[in-house]
Amino acid sequence: MSSMKISSKLDLTGYSCAGPIGELSGVLDTMKDGEAVEAILADESTKKDVLAWAQKKGYKVIEEKKDGNKFIVVIGK
Amino acid sequence: MKRIVVAGGGIAGTIVANRLVRNLSEEVNKGEVEIVVLNKANEHIYQPGQALLPFGVTETDELIKKEREVLDPRVKLLHDQKGDITKFDPANHEIRTADGLSHRYDYLIIATGSHLHWEDIPGYKDAVYSPWDMESAQKLREALDQFSGGTVVINVSRLPHKCPVAPMEVTLMLDDYLKRRGLREKTEIVYTYPVPGIFGIKTTNDVMIKIFQDRGIKVISPFTVTKIDPKERIMESQEGEKVKFDLAIGVPVHYGAKVLADSGLPIEGRNWVKTDKMTLRMEGHSDVYVIGDTTNLPISKAGSTADFESYVITGNIAGEIRGNKGRKFYDGSVFCYIATGLDSGTYIRFNYNYPPVPPPPSYVHWWGKLMYNKLYWTVTAKAIV
Repeated sequence: MSSMKISSKLDLTGYSCAGPIGELSGVLDTMKDGEAVEAILADESTKKDVLAWAQKKGYKVIEEKKDGNKFIVVIGK
Repeated sequence: MKRIVVAGGGIAGTIVANRLVRNLSEEVNKGEVEIVVLNKANEHIYQPGQALLPFGVTETDELIKKEREVLDPRVKLLHDQKGDITKFDPANHEIRTADGLSHRYDYLIIATGSHLHWEDIPGYKDAVYSPWDMESAQKLREALDQFSGGTVVINVSRLPHKCPVAPMEVTLMLDDYLKRRGLREKTEIVYTYPVPGIFGIKTTNDVMIKIFQDRGIKVISPFTVTKIDPKERIMESQEGEKVKFDLAIGVPVHYGAKVLADSGLPIEGRNWVKTDKMTLRMEGHSDVYVIGDTTNLPISKAGSTADFESYVITGNIAGEIRGNKGRKFYDGSVFCYIATGLDSGTYIRFNYNYPPVPPPPSYVHWWGKLMYNKLYWTVTAKAIV
């Protein structure tokens, strides 16, 4: 975690056409190695989908935690 | 005198400039407020109409007007070199243009839009037709006219892009177009999308994917295109898939304007400006707003988004100028018609908190879509409602 720099924070609790994975892919595509994005997600089902996608793409899941009703994940390159 | 500068004269910039001048009519008429639009191009293109062009539903001349004709006469328009922005300088509340002049502002609205970077995917420009580009949309119409069957690949290269529902619309209109020409039985349609599914919002994805299945449209996702061989007509993906095609229709990679990054503005991803999701202010600057495709907001890059956002920005700037204390907040509202053929459609209406569920496709929604397009020039762009 300490070697990763969180260079972007995304609130993905709302609805968007690209969806949480689409929004994350648009940011992670352009990140350099050693950079990470912190995303706030609305529910556990979305968190599971995001983590499965990140692992399949070969991204690093740095952190995941619950914050009240929301879920926070940190994904890095 | 208060000066409001709108950087960009596309759909977002034009609507917000016209809404501002209507809202601040008295102040503008008295010379207390000036509204200036800076835009390199002198033409205004109704880009959502480009998706209809290849199928003969609309014509090019219905989609282009002079920007001066679309803007209220009380809005000052600077174009060509005079409107070509070379630097944003928010610390000094100025913008510089290619004619060497600086433009001071009290309020700035950044509406520089999204731009296609075909070159990000090797072979894309040579092999793919795109309704996201006017010239390419016209060429696609000719290519479809010559098409006699084979494999058609629809590809979304990367997210986000403008008109997020349009790849699904193009696919379903193509299906209908080919049926009407007696070519559907001779054609395989393959939809390729960079993340799982065909659309990002689950409630909409579930409805739309069923329509795709019923129409016999093959879906390959996730499919992140990496390169295309234009000679062999093969599209390759990061996931290791290779798809051979006879005709490819796609969405090139989108970026925010380069001048935003060159000016050191707060950006992320492909030059999207960091924007507060409720106030629509640029990060760190209370006198700078961001609208439409330009923002980094997790919301649709669509004309209706800009229209909804324009009420918030106009209300807050007008309120500040008049000394009113109440503020407006953007709730993430979006409305998009979705063509599901050449005489049927549905729609999605949603915001940050309420997901869309498209109603069953019908002729009424297709008619609504066409009317919405026709009313753009006289109602939406003019900020009449």
